[in-house]
Amino acid sequence: MTAIEVDRLSHIYAGAEGGVPALEDISMTVEAGKFVVIVGPSGCGKTSLLMMLAGLRHQSTGTILCDGRPITDPDPSRVGVVFQEASLFPWLTALDNTEFPLALRGTPRDERRRRAEDMLNLVGLQGFGARFPHELSGGMKQRVSIARGLVQDPPVLLMDEPFAALDEQTRMTMGHELLRIWSKTRKTVVFITHSLTEAVYLADEVLVMSARPGRIVDRIAIDLPRPRTYEMMATDTFGKLRERIWQQIRKPEGTLS
Amino acid sequence: MTQTQIIAARLALLAAILAAWALLPKYGVLDPRLLPPLGDVLAMLGKQLARSQVQEAIGVTALEVVVAFVIAVPIGAAIGVAAAEFEYFGQIFKPMLFYVFSVPKSIFLPMFILIFGIGFPQKVAYAAFSTVFIVIMSATAAVESVKADHVLVARSCGATKAQILWRIYVPSMMPVLLETLRISMIFNFTGVMIAEMYASRTGIGHLIANWGENFQMPELFAGVIMLSVVAICFNEAVRLLEVRVSKWRT
Repeated sequence: MTAIEVDRLSHIYAGAEGGVPALEDISMTVEAGKFVVIVGPSGCGKTSLLMMLAGLRHQSTGTILCDGRPITDPDPSRVGVVFQEASLFPWLTALDNTEFPLALRGTPRDERRRRAEDMLNLVGLQGFGARFPHELSGGMKQRVSIARGLVQDPPVLLMDEPFAALDEQTRMTMGHELLRIWSKTRKTVVFITHSLTEAVYLADEVLVMSARPGRIVDRIAIDLPRPRTYEMMATDTFGKLRERIWQQIRKPEGTLS
Repeated sequence: MTQTQIIAARLALLAAILAAWALLPKYGVLDPRLLPPLGDVLAMLGKQLARSQVQEAIGVTALEVVVAFVIAVPIGAAIGVAAAEFEYFGQIFKPMLFYVFSVPKSIFLPMFILIFGIGFPQKVAYAAFSTVFIVIMSATAAVESVKADHVLVARSCGATKAQILWRIYVPSMMPVLLETLRISMIFNFTGVMIAEMYASRTGIGHLIANWGENFQMPELFAGVIMLSVVAICFNEAVRLLEVRVSKWRT
């Protein structure tokens, strides 16, 4: 079953000297339950692409289907989004932050409490519901963000460099945690990152994008067994996959010089 | 230092000041004609509060303060929000607002007297005028304190425009808004006092100016205490509320 289908999507930014092509002819299919990671240099438009998948920004041409229906506006029942750091509302507790999408829809208080608590348990934060974001560590804040993204039980979870602001160790732990949550919930995940190691460690498939205009230049199936372990990072296969992505990313610079 | 020790030290400081005020003029260390002892001032305060002329003056001043505040805050807030939310409006008007903000407002008082004559409208208009600019500045800062990321998150959760306003803008802005309320009241109160002291036939400011001119120091200090207590109470009440809603800001 196909969860996400992007068909010939292009985007042009209005600039001073006519339009600036930001995304060019993006087509991709994500099967339900897959973990897809998008990597690419800064300015390749990967965040723009994610915003469009979330219905938060409109593409110039092309279509996005999610569950067979087009995405034109945010639809949290189909797509949950986890942003970079500092996206929790600092005036709400962890529990209230997690409930937020349900509160918007007017879900009864008891039900939304229960579901938010379930989600906090799922991400390993039982007992932290009453804490405010400034009382949580960076990793814990991102756990709350994930809980908030999952609370409406959408089939698709989009993640925009969710661990970029964390230190290396926390980042590894969070990657591992994310895989645990993913294997429990069986969501379709589209994950954006700068880190090649993170990409190979997490993904079923890595899409490599080039910059200016943003294009998908390679699709790499990561056939490492699951569950993934930290030891796999030291293997030859892991290194080769990482190397192949790196070659694709640095290519445009090579052609310039 | 623990919190209790700090509070004890604060109370000790207050007691020391009051004791000095009570004792130094009494024993001739300070000239009691310039600084009457605290006891005399408090006795005078009681006497003055019982006078109908003073009660009337308090009523007039209070009404001026409230009316000026009710005029200045919504107008200032509307202009400030517009300057922050509508880019072109802000770009065009902001520099001018900043220029006028930096000018001392008291120099415009004679103009207000020429336009409105001496009386209630002149004092209210002048106080509102001297308050509105600080409200504009603070309201702009309040809107700008709303993080674009938070709005984006809310949209991704399916929030409508009204929900974004109520659930993101209002809580984000609340601490700054209360601060605005507090600071603009200081400007507003000052505006009314200046207007009353400069040219007026009634009001506490007018009485204080008179007492000063006639060298009635106990009366003058009684007036000072009266106004200080009211101003401090308002300020602290709003500040308490501010602390309560800004807990998350640390």
